[in-house]
Amino acid sequence: MASSSKTSAPTTPAPASSAAASSASSFRQRPWVRWGAPLLLVVGLAVLPLVMTESANDTLARIGVFAVAVLGLNVVMGYTGQVSLGQIFFLGLGAYVTAYGVQSGWNIGLVFVLTCFIPAVVGLLVALAAARLGGLAIAMVTIALPIVGVPLAKRLSEFTGGSQGLSARFVAAPEGSGLYDDQWQLYIVLVIGGIVFLLTYFLVRGKYGRAFAIVKGNENVASSMGISPYRYKVLAFTIASLIGGVSGFLYMVVVQYTSPETMSFGHSIELLVAMVIGGAGSIVGSLLGGVFYVVVPDITNAIDPSLTALLQGALLLAVLFVLPGGLVSLPRAVMRGLRRSSTGRGSAAPPTTPSSTSGSGTAAEPTETERQGSA
Amino acid sequence: MEKFVQLVVDGLSTGSVYAALALAIVLVHSATGLVNFAQGGMAVLAAYVAWVLTNQGVPLILAILASIIFSFLLGAVLERFLMRRFERGDPDTAVVVTIGLLTLITGIAGWLWGYNNQQFPSLFPLDTVSVLGVSVSIRSLGTTLVIVVAMVAMQALFAGTKLGLALRAVAINPQSAGYSGLPVERLLMVGWGLAAVLGAVAGALVAPQLTLTPGMLDSALVYALAAVILGGLTSPVGVVVAAWLIGVLENLAAVYVGFIGFDLKVAVPFILIFVVLIVRPQGLFGRKTVVRV
Amino acid sequence: MNRHFGSRQAVGIAAVSALALTLTACGGGRDSGRSGDAAEGAPSPGITDDSVTLGITTPLSGATAGPGTCTVAGVTAYFGMKNAEGGVEFGDGQTRTVEIEALDDTYDPQQAAANYDSLKDDVFAMTAGLGTPTNRAWREAAIADEVPQALIMTGDPLFSDTEESPWQLGFVPIYQNEGEAFGELLASSSEEHRVAILSQNDDFGAGYVEGFKSAVEGADNIEIVEELTYEATDTSVDAQITQLAASDADVFFNAMSVTPLVISALQQAQQLNWLPNWFLPSNTSSPGAILQPGGADAFPGIYSVSFSKAPQSPAFAEDEDVQTYLSALAEYGNYPDPPAFPHCQWSWMVGATLEQAFMEMEEPTRDSFMEALRSIEDFQAPLMLEGTAVTTSEDGQPAVSTLNVQKYNGTGYDTVESFE
Repeated sequence: MASSSKTSAPTTPAPASSAAASSASSFRQRPWVRWGAPLLLVVGLAVLPLVMTESANDTLARIGVFAVAVLGLNVVMGYTGQVSLGQIFFLGLGAYVTAYGVQSGWNIGLVFVLTCFIPAVVGLLVALAAARLGGLAIAMVTIALPIVGVPLAKRLSEFTGGSQGLSARFVAAPEGSGLYDDQWQLYIVLVIGGIVFLLTYFLVRGKYGRAFAIVKGNENVASSMGISPYRYKVLAFTIASLIGGVSGFLYMVVVQYTSPETMSFGHSIELLVAMVIGGAGSIVGSLLGGVFYVVVPDITNAIDPSLTALLQGALLLAVLFVLPGGLVSLPRAVMRGLRRSSTGRGSAAPPTTPSSTSGSGTAAEPTETERQGSA
Repeated sequence: MEKFVQLVVDGLSTGSVYAALALAIVLVHSATGLVNFAQGGMAVLAAYVAWVLTNQGVPLILAILASIIFSFLLGAVLERFLMRRFERGDPDTAVVVTIGLLTLITGIAGWLWGYNNQQFPSLFPLDTVSVLGVSVSIRSLGTTLVIVVAMVAMQALFAGTKLGLALRAVAINPQSAGYSGLPVERLLMVGWGLAAVLGAVAGALVAPQLTLTPGMLDSALVYALAAVILGGLTSPVGVVVAAWLIGVLENLAAVYVGFIGFDLKVAVPFILIFVVLIVRPQGLFGRKTVVRV
Repeated sequence: MNRHFGSRQAVGIAAVSALALTLTACGGGRDSGRSGDAAEGAPSPGITDDSVTLGITTPLSGATAGPGTCTVAGVTAYFGMKNAEGGVEFGDGQTRTVEIEALDDTYDPQQAAANYDSLKDDVFAMTAGLGTPTNRAWREAAIADEVPQALIMTGDPLFSDTEESPWQLGFVPIYQNEGEAFGELLASSSEEHRVAILSQNDDFGAGYVEGFKSAVEGADNIEIVEELTYEATDTSVDAQITQLAASDADVFFNAMSVTPLVISALQQAQQLNWLPNWFLPSNTSSPGAILQPGGADAFPGIYSVSFSKAPQSPAFAEDEDVQTYLSALAEYGNYPDPPAFPHCQWSWMVGATLEQAFMEMEEPTRDSFMEALRSIEDFQAPLMLEGTAVTTSEDGQPAVSTLNVQKYNGTGYDTVESFE
């Protein structure tokens, strides 16, 4: 079964009989487990903000912000294979739109719609041009977004507050809710972030996700199948920009301040790092990438604030050295290790090992996605 | 007119800084097929080594030579013990590893030598020669000259020597290079080592002007990458020309194109890349490469 | 199918590990920050009978790590020295040692806000951090939480506005003051001057230019002939200097904060044989680190403004203040070399100013501290130049608002009264 899932063409469903291989998976197949587990997750997330400390809530909310940003990057890069170094620009743009809208006293619903719409339109326009290029060229054109975005934000100081930035504290907990501000903010992040994650999950598992994977795999094959690589690259980039804009809205919910430094080019690189560390082409990996982006600076600060760069570099290299497929491959790596030590039989090996396939971990999930979507 | 020519000369001098780093990036790409974000960091480390030695009383030229040897070993060691694990995997992961390496090296330099700006002695005097009312410093001339020499040497290496051909063969297809009897692993180490050597030269050339700090080449990195893409990843001549072009056009656009100005001149190389690559996807001087499936 | 569940299992593991990481990363006291209003006179967080803890968020890595490291080193060295002497005697009669908890924000506003969140329950006050956006990012939160954001290193006037920023106070002169001081000197000159301006494209540069222009407004001997900007991330300003040189101005107002760019600007101007009188801001006018490598002797006059003694200057080599400072910096501040950035000196003065406030505060509360902090008059902090002082009671002004205009003499600076 392992080899069949790896080599079979994406549209070929795997034999259903081979699916229920072990007793463990048949247990997980029972309906009450299938529905109960996500329900438990939702309930857990609903209770979490109430029982955690303020600083834990803050940290979790920031993780949510950057997990969404990484998720957007994953759509264009992890799933569609187009290197984008511009994701932070869309976060910054979304944050500016939010801050400006709030300061102008616009309706918050309208502000949210605009933070989705404006970055998406800008992303579309950029993509219409950039998607004509491929490989490293698209990386250079997208890297220009934050690099030009910073001086541009300063020049448009009428809207952006120039280098002094914009503050907007607009998410105080409603009167009578009995919630603290940090709890309310975390709920907003959980709800909006959760919806974005869910929609993206369905997107990449559906027919668009299949098309993205084919474009990523080989553009010539895609063309021959009647899938226009150009059109799907533009689509992926636009969606990534939209999600980036949403993360900008969440950024304002949590940080409540933005300035040109928010979209500096270094952060774009850090988002790319977070995506690969979490696990490229993976929904869960995006979440883990957000965790990495937010928690690592806090951890290195706790160890020695004067050595943060050294520690972050070392940590990054250590993680990738052990898990080239990113943090998301940790369970698989652990399972592999356990099975190897307990039985030593080769038949139980997991279907794909990220480090051994040419596409690494990124290839594993899309393939599986196809099977799932068409099964 | 005088101002125009002076701006061109200034642009060439700034472009030479980008070119120095860009050449090293091209070398490692030609030898391993990878874009190394840590190239600048490694160059800074080499410059610190030279700086420490000159502080101990070692003559500058010997200190730079020592830093060159250090860099070759550093490059080879990094390839062998770090990069090798990622060379056959996902290229995105390998690039992220070089980003991690850049962070680590910058952190080490900050830890060992602090974040003060250190004065790095220049190989060339700061005197100026004046030609038809345009001033050129001996330092810029010297820097440019060394870069041209390095460029010619690299072009010759890849076009005319066995080693260069072997390096390229390994970068293009390590497997078949191995089948044809090439010592692939050693060649990869040599490729990284040579790129680090070039980086060390670049570091020593630009450190007097930028002053030595752990992040000395961070802002030059983006320009260097732009020059690499614009010039064509495979051509040393191409990237040097591209770097000069970027330096010159940036200055001219800032001064003569009203709405760009000095704040948005950073957009110039990217507009240039976009326009050029639409017309010539392989870059100004690049070879067309066949996409591997 | 089992792969599908494999990934679902991963969801659970991810959620749990995310939670675990979060909980270990921040072990702050339960709900302590949410209560806000403690009983009258009860000690604020971060202070006990024998110690007080101060928090700093500042860039310790990245492009601004140089000055950022200094903002921590100076105040840490100052209180390290005081602690070794037994501590500081507070206004309530207790003697306390002063501990510093500094975190790295890499000049990222988001990280600065996060650092503030993680420090606010453990520290008595925040202080000394560098940067406009990184201080603005948590200014409103500090007001809401009633946490002092005292004596920070930004010349942004917002932090000195008592109305807008009740829990804040800037330390260094607002940028406008510095530009104005030089503008006034120039306007009083008996000759006509053509001025070229090059400024950093942010609030730092704009503040200097605004102050300068307001001082020379109406002075009919001053004409501004060319005005350009540069980005702090630029690798070169040669083209700007070339264009400004073509204007043939005889005075160059250069509001720059990036050390290597100032050096190369000095060199480029000499190469072009453009030798104007030159103004530099207080943070990039170090004789040893900038003017000598830049060959500043070639220019008729290099002017700057300052309120602190420059440790590299031979004029102060024997100065007692400077010697105490340099040895404490090496011993307690983890900073062995004489610093190239004035922020180390400023941070040292922040320490001395905080000590003044501590000595006056009558209760171990943040309220009492802010009251004491805002009532310092004419305090001559160590390393301060004659004619300058710390005065915190003036609304709209930071702790230091008096400046001396100085002229470079080949090795250090002399205070000047007129432009010649």
